[in-house]
Amino acid sequence: MFKRHWLAYAALWCSGLITMLICLGIVLFLVVKGAHAISWQFLFTDPLPSMNEALSGGILTPLIGTVLLTTLGIVCALPWAGATAIYLAEYAGENQFVNALRTGIDVLAGVPTIVFAIFGLAVFTLPQMAMFSTIVEGVDNAQAFGRSFLVAAITMAAMVLPFVIKSIEEAIRSVPPSYKEASYALGASKWNTISCVILPAARAGIITGVILGIGRIAGDTAIIWLCLGGSMNMGGQQPWWMPQHWVSTLRHTGSTLTSYVYFSSPAGEGNSPGKAFGAGLVLVVFILLLNAVVSYLGRFTAIKEDQ
Amino acid sequence: MKEHSDLTAALATATPTTANTVTSAWRLKQFKEKAIEYLLATFTVMSAILIFFIMYFVIRRAVPVFQANGIGFILRGGWDTQFMTSWQAPADQPSWIFGALPLVMGTIYTTVGALLIAVPLGLGCAIFLVELCPPWLRVPLTTTVRLLAAIPSVIYGLVGLIVVVPVIAHTLITNQMAMNMINIAALDGTSILASMIVLSIMIGPIFIALSSDALRAVPRSYKEAAFALGISQWRTILKVMLPVARKGIIAGAILATGRAIGEAIALSMVSGGVANLPDFQHGLVFFLEPVRTLASAIVNNSEGMIVSTCESALFACATLLLLSSVALSVMATWVSGMVRKGVRSHV
Repeated sequence: MFKRHWLAYAALWCSGLITMLICLGIVLFLVVKGAHAISWQFLFTDPLPSMNEALSGGILTPLIGTVLLTTLGIVCALPWAGATAIYLAEYAGENQFVNALRTGIDVLAGVPTIVFAIFGLAVFTLPQMAMFSTIVEGVDNAQAFGRSFLVAAITMAAMVLPFVIKSIEEAIRSVPPSYKEASYALGASKWNTISCVILPAARAGIITGVILGIGRIAGDTAIIWLCLGGSMNMGGQQPWWMPQHWVSTLRHTGSTLTSYVYFSSPAGEGNSPGKAFGAGLVLVVFILLLNAVVSYLGRFTAIKEDQ
Repeated sequence: MKEHSDLTAALATATPTTANTVTSAWRLKQFKEKAIEYLLATFTVMSAILIFFIMYFVIRRAVPVFQANGIGFILRGGWDTQFMTSWQAPADQPSWIFGALPLVMGTIYTTVGALLIAVPLGLGCAIFLVELCPPWLRVPLTTTVRLLAAIPSVIYGLVGLIVVVPVIAHTLITNQMAMNMINIAALDGTSILASMIVLSIMIGPIFIALSSDALRAVPRSYKEAAFALGISQWRTILKVMLPVARKGIIAGAILATGRAIGEAIALSMVSGGVANLPDFQHGLVFFLEPVRTLASAIVNNSEGMIVSTCESALFACATLLLLSSVALSVMATWVSGMVRKGVRSHV
């Protein structure tokens, strides 16, 4: 029997192994090409505007941009996603209206990030939204510039919303019902049960959802390119790290690791592939670490459920 | 006796007040509970109607171009020259004529091409993972699939541009071929083929994850029944597992399609960025021609945003993407909803 179908089995083995090899190949290629670019100097100097690869500086501002943007984005997304997930898991029943809400959120998960990006631009270029970015001066129909850290963070929050909702809802649903029943038996109200029993018990799952959201924000380029602008350094008042300039920094353009990779690749204007691979390696290591934390947390919850 | 009446009096005066405080505290608590519920419901409704909010803002800006071109927007070509004309047009004579046929066809060609690679490979990988994979290989394989899903699209674009594109340029494109095509498009390796390869690696993981879930959901009893009848493992996979998991696999393919049509950055790097309409009559050179997709047009032409005509045209591209992704999501929910019903009735 096995002999007759050896070709089919060989094909199945091949497709499994090819998938693994592609992944390992990409990661190894990044390490080989990017490792020699990485040094303390590369990590801790600003990018310099130069076509010469040796003079084009490091990735300090993109690195800080990624950290700043993921923090801002997840801070915007978490309360919103958390509230929605709690409602869907604990309050909403099973009826047509709730089904419609769930479909709306599912559809949101399928919208391409480039559409979110152009939507963010459409909303935040409205003159009423000028507080999030800057005003374009010298134009008749006064529009806001619509590109800043705040704009990108809010757009990112909308983009990751459905994914964070999904994983928090799952985490809440996986809390054993006996916890809830015990809390009700002690006379606790519904909200007290949720805030003091269910959310702490679902902690690991909620952190997993947050980390997934961070990974998505850190890895997205389309929203960065349109809503944060393509400038390599911080666009606000200099020096940008002074506390009195923080607001100005948030309202101006900047860069993240993804936009740095795009800019430095042969497709962008910087054209220094060595630097692009270095920044790409830093980005992938960041995302690998996030994934490692997720699988560690997953193992932790699995152990807890066994006991 | 006196003490007793005192006590009764005390009780008579005390009880109502205690009852009153209990009721008002209880009412306050009830009010708080209700308020929290309504607050959470408001957030939920806001998340659900965000999609309509997006549609409103994107479509509103696209309307002028759709009004000026009608259905011609997706039936006419010449995007690149029209875009330049609108870009250079004087402010009092804006040029509203746009034809996005090359972008639409570019999106369709790259998406279908990516599915042609990703579906067989991904299905093979999913079957391997569920049925054949030895236990020691399971964790490495699932980890790498998850990792492939987590790698940012710009990394795929970069690796595609440094590895895939030069390989195509050096091995497949001959000087003669490039000379023949010189009037149509420059063949430099950035092509439909490169886009297909890069895109298939990007949509592979989501398809593998969803179709292996569907295969795992096939009830164990089905497989056992097939083995009891003496049917080989391969025929069981082919005749029992795949047909039962069919709808889940289709839903996975639909979601992977949605991912493929919306990919902007990686494709803007490897697809060539020329709004060229490849022709099947060129034979196999078709696969080596550069294209531009709807999503990558928004990235590549984003400098045009400051001119209102160009901006509206880009919003029209976004509208096409948005509507097709919504349609695909609804279709996938519909198909997998049927799956859920089907499994419930089977078990």
